[in-house]
Amino acid sequence: MKRLILICVFLFLLFTGFIDAPVQSLKPGSLSLRLRLVFDGKPLNLNNALYTDEHGDTLSIDACRFYLSNIVLTNQTQLIYREPYSYHLVDAEDSVSQVIQLDRVPGGSFSELRFLIGVDSLANVSGAMDGALDPIKGMYWAWNTGYINAKLTGRSPSCNTLHHAFEFHIGGYLPPCQTLRTVVLKIPVIKPNQEQIVSLNVDVGTWFTQVDLHKTNSVLLPCTEAMRLADNYQRMFSVITE
Amino acid sequence: MKKTRLFYRVSGILALLTCILAFAGTDTPVKFNAPRGWPKPRYDFSNNPLTLHGFELGRELFYDPFLSSDSSTSCSSCHLSFTAFTHADHKLSHGIQGLVGTRNSPVLINLAWNTSFMWDGGVNNLEVQAINPLTNPVEMNSKLEDVINKLQRTAKYRKLFYRAFNDSIITSKRLLKALAQFTGNLVSCNSKYDSVMRHERDVHFTAREENGYELFKKNCATCHREPLFTNNKFENIGLPLDSVLRDVGRMKVTNDPADSLTFKVPTLRNVEYSAPYFHDGRVNKLKDVIDHYTTGIVESRTLSKELRRKIILSHDEQKDLLVFLKTLTDKSFLYNVQFRQNRVPD
Repeated sequence: MKRLILICVFLFLLFTGFIDAPVQSLKPGSLSLRLRLVFDGKPLNLNNALYTDEHGDTLSIDACRFYLSNIVLTNQTQLIYREPYSYHLVDAEDSVSQVIQLDRVPGGSFSELRFLIGVDSLANVSGAMDGALDPIKGMYWAWNTGYINAKLTGRSPSCNTLHHAFEFHIGGYLPPCQTLRTVVLKIPVIKPNQEQIVSLNVDVGTWFTQVDLHKTNSVLLPCTEAMRLADNYQRMFSVITE
Repeated sequence: MKKTRLFYRVSGILALLTCILAFAGTDTPVKFNAPRGWPKPRYDFSNNPLTLHGFELGRELFYDPFLSSDSSTSCSSCHLSFTAFTHADHKLSHGIQGLVGTRNSPVLINLAWNTSFMWDGGVNNLEVQAINPLTNPVEMNSKLEDVINKLQRTAKYRKLFYRAFNDSIITSKRLLKALAQFTGNLVSCNSKYDSVMRHERDVHFTAREENGYELFKKNCATCHREPLFTNNKFENIGLPLDSVLRDVGRMKVTNDPADSLTFKVPTLRNVEYSAPYFHDGRVNKLKDVIDHYTTGIVESRTLSKELRRKIILSHDEQKDLLVFLKTLTDKSFLYNVQFRQNRVPD
């Protein structure tokens, strides 16, 4: 009977990912995710650089910030690694935020990287948080509680607004206005016992897919337009293969 | 007369003793005791371990106008302990420079049981509620970051945060958790109604109170559910839309037309002292509130289904209901010295 319980506990732990698969017995290492922010392939420079979006609007970007959270590595069938307390605020203005270091990643091969753009609903209802989730970071709505999952602001002559500004603050964690998006990327198989780097392109141009800045230039509340923009930036990431 | 005075003196001393015992010598954890028979509190103190010093820090912050941009306005400016933590005589409250808000400041009672905050339920957790008044331009008009930096520069707060969190580094998380230790402990559970429900010796409803209670159960208790006297839901109680603010209530949060003109059902505990009433304080007297429910309901698409059936009360019945509502007054709450400003020297 005792043995049966032990087996059950072991299976439960294995199933829930508390124990890594036995094949992963190699030494843990580290993995850095390096994010390269670009606009349509060109390096992203804030404020003065001019870009042209899919619709043909000329624009510049003042600020680009987003949460990258719940990072997971798998070998497509098995969870290999789940980053503990995985919340990162990536900011185009802060190069340090564009490198995410994952420590104690188990040795062994994995080929898939998964993460969320935004903050999961549990964190959204858990009260006062710190670190990347500290409300002083300016990515938090106090009145209608919730994290802003991603922010993009800039200017374009196409915007009939004060100073030709456009503002996208994308949030919303409650159905039917959820803007949390999952990203799944195939990455080159990582060899064990090494310090590894995975470089990702983050193409801000994807935000503007089928967006006419003349019509859509201020999205500051959860719902329809926010969902559409979230669908757009879900496609922001791609793996750079050297 | 003498008897009454003696009664107040004795009950005052008893209340004080209870508080002293409850908090005696406690550097160490204080237990949050939910009154017997009440539902489980929604706010989870296990994620914000309650201590005497945490509570005291929260209270100090609550009463300190230093937290506002011009050091003029504190939380207590609009939430006064003697009036169940609402703003007496103010339909709408004013913050810095006399700027006026858009809603009647709500009572702060039994917040640990609230499932949401604000008249429209826009806030989902007690801890983050305080960010709103702190940062609202017509309330305290601060930036959270500035508040933290300001507090960090004072020796007094470095000391108080150290006592509460074993660390003098002030963060927004600690600020908000400390405030929640204070506001989450504003529990009112010692009204005459509670004594009667607990079958305490020699406490009975009068015949009129008893009749009022029966009328209450029949006409009001679906929404103002005992023992908290709210069901935490949102209802349109048939108030005509005001022409100035045109406040549609919860719909602002949900964008759902079904929520148009609905507002949070407020608790009725200490309602005798929490005038003015309704989300915009449009009514001053409790009697006028009952008048609204009996004769003032405006029909609309989203009118509460509980109010589609007319509430008919005779003149005497209205008086009895009023008498019952006054049994929800809890003097040990309103005059609790632990809830008042206890200034910590700078």
